[in-house]
Amino acid sequence: MDFAVEDSPEQSAFRVEVRGWLAKNVPASIEHPADAVDLSFEQYQMRRALGRGLGERGWLYPTMPTEYGGGDLPVEKTFILYDEMARIGLSLPPYYDAGGRMAAPTILVWGNDEHKKRFLPPICRGEVRTWQLLSEPSAGSDLAGVKTTAIRDGDAYVVNGQKVFVGSAHGADYSWTIVVTDPKGERHKNLSWLMIPMDLPGISVVPMDLLTAGGEGASGCGVKNSVFFDDVRVPAENLVGGENNGWRVATTHLEVEHGGVGRLADRRIVYEFIDWCRERRDGHAIVDDPAARSELVEMFVEAEITRLFALRNHWLSHTDQPRSYEGAQYSLRRKLSGLDMAEKMLRIAGPYVLTKDERWGPLRGAVEYFQRDAITALHPGATTDIQRVVISRRIGIGRREREKAGVLR
Amino acid sequence: MDLSLDDTQKLIQESARDFVRSDCNRDVLLALDRKPGGMMDGLWQKMAGLGWTGMALPEEFGGTGNSMTDVAVLFEELGTGPVPLPLFSSAILGARTLLETATDAQKKAWLPEVASGDRVLALAVTEAQYGWRPEQIRLTARKDGADYRLTGSKLFVHDAAGATDLLVLVRAESGAGLSLLRVAARAPGVAVRTLDGFLTGISEVTFEDVRVAGDDLVGTAGRAWEGLRRAMLPAIPVLCAYKVGGCKAVFDMSVEYSRERSQFGQPIGRFQRVQDHVIHIVNYLDAARWTTYEALWKLDSGVDAACSVHMAKSVASESYMRACDFGHEVHAGIGVVREYGLTLHTKMSRSLYHLLGAPKLHRKYMESALGLVPA
Repeated sequence: MDFAVEDSPEQSAFRVEVRGWLAKNVPASIEHPADAVDLSFEQYQMRRALGRGLGERGWLYPTMPTEYGGGDLPVEKTFILYDEMARIGLSLPPYYDAGGRMAAPTILVWGNDEHKKRFLPPICRGEVRTWQLLSEPSAGSDLAGVKTTAIRDGDAYVVNGQKVFVGSAHGADYSWTIVVTDPKGERHKNLSWLMIPMDLPGISVVPMDLLTAGGEGASGCGVKNSVFFDDVRVPAENLVGGENNGWRVATTHLEVEHGGVGRLADRRIVYEFIDWCRERRDGHAIVDDPAARSELVEMFVEAEITRLFALRNHWLSHTDQPRSYEGAQYSLRRKLSGLDMAEKMLRIAGPYVLTKDERWGPLRGAVEYFQRDAITALHPGATTDIQRVVISRRIGIGRREREKAGVLR
Repeated sequence: MDLSLDDTQKLIQESARDFVRSDCNRDVLLALDRKPGGMMDGLWQKMAGLGWTGMALPEEFGGTGNSMTDVAVLFEELGTGPVPLPLFSSAILGARTLLETATDAQKKAWLPEVASGDRVLALAVTEAQYGWRPEQIRLTARKDGADYRLTGSKLFVHDAAGATDLLVLVRAESGAGLSLLRVAARAPGVAVRTLDGFLTGISEVTFEDVRVAGDDLVGTAGRAWEGLRRAMLPAIPVLCAYKVGGCKAVFDMSVEYSRERSQFGQPIGRFQRVQDHVIHIVNYLDAARWTTYEALWKLDSGVDAACSVHMAKSVASESYMRACDFGHEVHAGIGVVREYGLTLHTKMSRSLYHLLGAPKLHRKYMESALGLVPA
């Protein structure tokens, strides 16, 4: 076994290349607020420009095929890209792009040639950014119960309905959307996916007021929105994966969303918090207290287990091995341990962790943001209860036979 | 990065699986369990014949010089039995202890026989004031001319019953440091009494004015602890891999049972409360597995492994115990029927919880490794 992200001479040269490119292309004025809601439009534009630059090199979506604007890079080089971005406080992509992260791998499985050629290159080159539209006021965990309709009318589908907990600040170009194409059809056999251009008439986007919009630091959303569709005419060729075949497409999408692809980002906040606890302020350090020390070790262990689950998933997916429960297992672990860590931070460090005050809030507000976001983070992608349902099915003890996910990259 | 087993490891895994299936199946293990302290007649010779007694030793001492990950792959499979652990006590912990502490002459004299399986070691460290810290070792060897005299006892010694040689950690008479003595298990005055109860393979060893030849002082007087720590570092994750195997077996049993057992007209695996128990088991299994194998990889590649080893020990010990607990939640009544086999694991998970230090101790070590202990 080899757990190392150790560079071969070739990889080492690649790292030097990446680091050099980033040094030249990441603006010095780029900011890293704890909460992405504090990212200005100018800051967002800087990130998009950086994304386009990365995209030109196939580095924005490094594992996607080159013919669709990806880099077709091996896992080790992907690691280097994630790593080098994380080193300067950025994620890959450097902005929220649910379409790229989740729709693109799904379209690669389910899209026809025309879909792949039309939708994937702009995403992979960072020319567009995309949202995913799944949840509705009356369909959260029960995704198959969505009510937004898309009724065929000549060369278009006419979309009506409301989606919630959508996207991010500063808009999107396309929305990857699950809709009902056969309102009278049988459950699971009435759904389809549309790639909806967001500039069509009849779409309105209204921000929601939430505890946090989710996501850590620079990769966060900033805001989540309600999206209303009012007789929106979407070109029929934007339907991906076949009419009324949407539930099978959803299985692939959800596999990605449930963490199957294995994100590599570790929980920086934990390691930074541990360092902060070691600092001496007015002659006192939190680690002087034996009880605090033992809780910090518990936090470290949890962070490490979560990191190792992510590493395993990443390795599984990028070596094309079959996966079953691992995606949901990672996601469940990350959520539950996050909540537990937030409580430990509050217990260890006191009310300081609740403020983002410049003088009193630890780690420039990052701990305060984590206190809120650990709670928000419990539901995106599936509640912890749904994740347990998924794990059970994949293990083969659930209500249904184990579902096979599509082959993902 | 590559988290798969290499070809050698796959062969080891296959032959170990075959061994557990055909030579050490549930009936054999239950029979062994019924005669406490019983030697693993035949099984030991078979394991030695497969070369397992020499895996953790270099070729110059008759071993095959395998990596610790290779060794761990073997022990993960043995843990699925769970096959009793004299192999660990002798061929891993004992062998590595001699390798790290003994003089060259002693290594040449003893290790080839350990590698062949003819010499069976057991390490006697802990005492009535139980613990794995050096200051908790009180037993003192009295100098008697060129020899030593030993009176007192060691408690909770693993796999002493079948051992030919005991490696006994003692306080040097001067009080400075710890020494290691090799004591023949059959020497006059040595008594091994296997403890009965909810534990397995654990004994009290008493020494009644036992004469130990000066040549049987292992290595240098007063310097044993450093060597022992160096030996424990690679031995611990091998023990962890055994626990990973135990978790795996409990997981497989629980999945199978929740599919087959029917209540209220359907398999119990369809009840979400039962599913939650199984999910706990798979989480413990995977947490133990990946912390263990990362620590092994660090050891094999010469990276500083201390923090990972302590973490693996802490995680794997708790995981094995709790995986068994949740296994019992899934199985209910049938789980406590000894013939069913789950209790073999339950008992083993408790028996091994403290071996080489309990989770609490290893988390303490982690505080130092993480730089949390104020200077």
